[in-house]
Amino acid sequence: MSSQAHGHTPSPEAVDAKPSYYEIMETAVRELLVEKEVIGPGEIRRMLEVMDSRTPALGAKVVARAWVDPEFRTRLLANGRAACEELGIDFFEDTQLIVLENTDKVHNLICCTLCSCYPREIMGLPPDWYKLKPYRARAVKEPRSLLAEFGTIIPEDVEIRVSDSTAMVRFLVLPQRPQGTNNWSEEQLAGLVTRDAMIGVVRVEIPPTNEKSQ
Amino acid sequence: MSEEIGHALRPLPNIVHAEDQKPLFKVGDSIKVAMRFPIGHYRVPNYVRGMRGRVEVVIEPRAVNNEDEGFGLNAGVKRHYYRLAIPLTELWPNYTGSPDDGLRIEVFETWLERS
Amino acid sequence: MSQTEDLTRLPLLTRLPTEMGGLDAGPFQRVEHEYLPWEKRCHALANILDTHKIINTEEKRRGIEALGTELVEKLSYYEHWIVAFANILFQKEILTPGELARKMEEVAARYSGETTPSK
Repeated sequence: MSSQAHGHTPSPEAVDAKPSYYEIMETAVRELLVEKEVIGPGEIRRMLEVMDSRTPALGAKVVARAWVDPEFRTRLLANGRAACEELGIDFFEDTQLIVLENTDKVHNLICCTLCSCYPREIMGLPPDWYKLKPYRARAVKEPRSLLAEFGTIIPEDVEIRVSDSTAMVRFLVLPQRPQGTNNWSEEQLAGLVTRDAMIGVVRVEIPPTNEKSQ
Repeated sequence: MSEEIGHALRPLPNIVHAEDQKPLFKVGDSIKVAMRFPIGHYRVPNYVRGMRGRVEVVIEPRAVNNEDEGFGLNAGVKRHYYRLAIPLTELWPNYTGSPDDGLRIEVFETWLERS
Repeated sequence: MSQTEDLTRLPLLTRLPTEMGGLDAGPFQRVEHEYLPWEKRCHALANILDTHKIINTEEKRRGIEALGTELVEKLSYYEHWIVAFANILFQKEILTPGELARKMEEVAARYSGETTPSK
């Protein structure tokens, strides 16, 4: 039905249509594990609630806090997980977080060439393209031309650092704060920060249609 | 009073550390990723095998080898992971970006040699 | 074994089908889709199996790699996961292939029959 190379976009009717073989398998595995008391009956539902609470909005709040609070920024760069935990964002198991600071001289990009490692605790689930071949193959080999396809041009005098996730460390890019936002509130700033900016494929920009978000 | 507290906080002498407790490498060390080709499971991509770089961060705390975890070994000897900086010009002979562009990647201690 | 043979056959073993770094690849395409409910449930299942130390994350990755090139290419992301889970649960003697097949038959019948699915 789909492949890592070609992407997978099910039709909109798929949700109500007859379930696929694999959806049937998922249901069967889950029900068997509950019947055998390997997992508890409410665990999946609770875990879905946990997962649904993790979206890029969390990451945006972390970024906005770092922009307005220099001491938080310092703590965030020293220990990403501990700083996020200050804000109530807990992490699974031994996962660590390194926050990668973009500057005038350095632009960071994150990827996972072996699978699909992603900072899920603060960003939710990754977009398909992050998990597909073009991104994963090219991010470590030709980041500049890849970023150009996102519309992001990195000047030659700016160093690109590509972090390839392979172990228990996850990454979040701390983008540069856009010019002209000096008197913006933390909430307004968070509204500017997109998922793609925290992956490092685009910069944070003020949308052209409005000077200030609401 | 504070002098006594200062004394109490200093490490005790003559403690012998287990072999794997201390990191083998430190920040700034030049290292080389082993030219090794395991089958079955690995967490060091082929494109960094045999490549040279520098240690940027010593990841704490020590942890088990995630390659062994792939076969269910949740416990075992814990060693350090190292965040390495490897120039893209080292990885790709025809790299056309900035010579300062680099990869950052975490690699388990058993994959690394001093370079 | 000749050197040419080594170059064509050995990478089949030493390069896992899931590894993509540095491969030739086409233009980037902004592929995204809204996760289907079963896909999210599959991800939730993975987290729970990891927490319970039944199938840890690394075992899951290895299980997907073990599917081999053709299945890795032809199945979608979460299809990899659930098939890998089934295989690993069989290996750990938590489920048997027969049990799973019978349960899948039962679940499929709920959809094709008159009864409303229970979940």
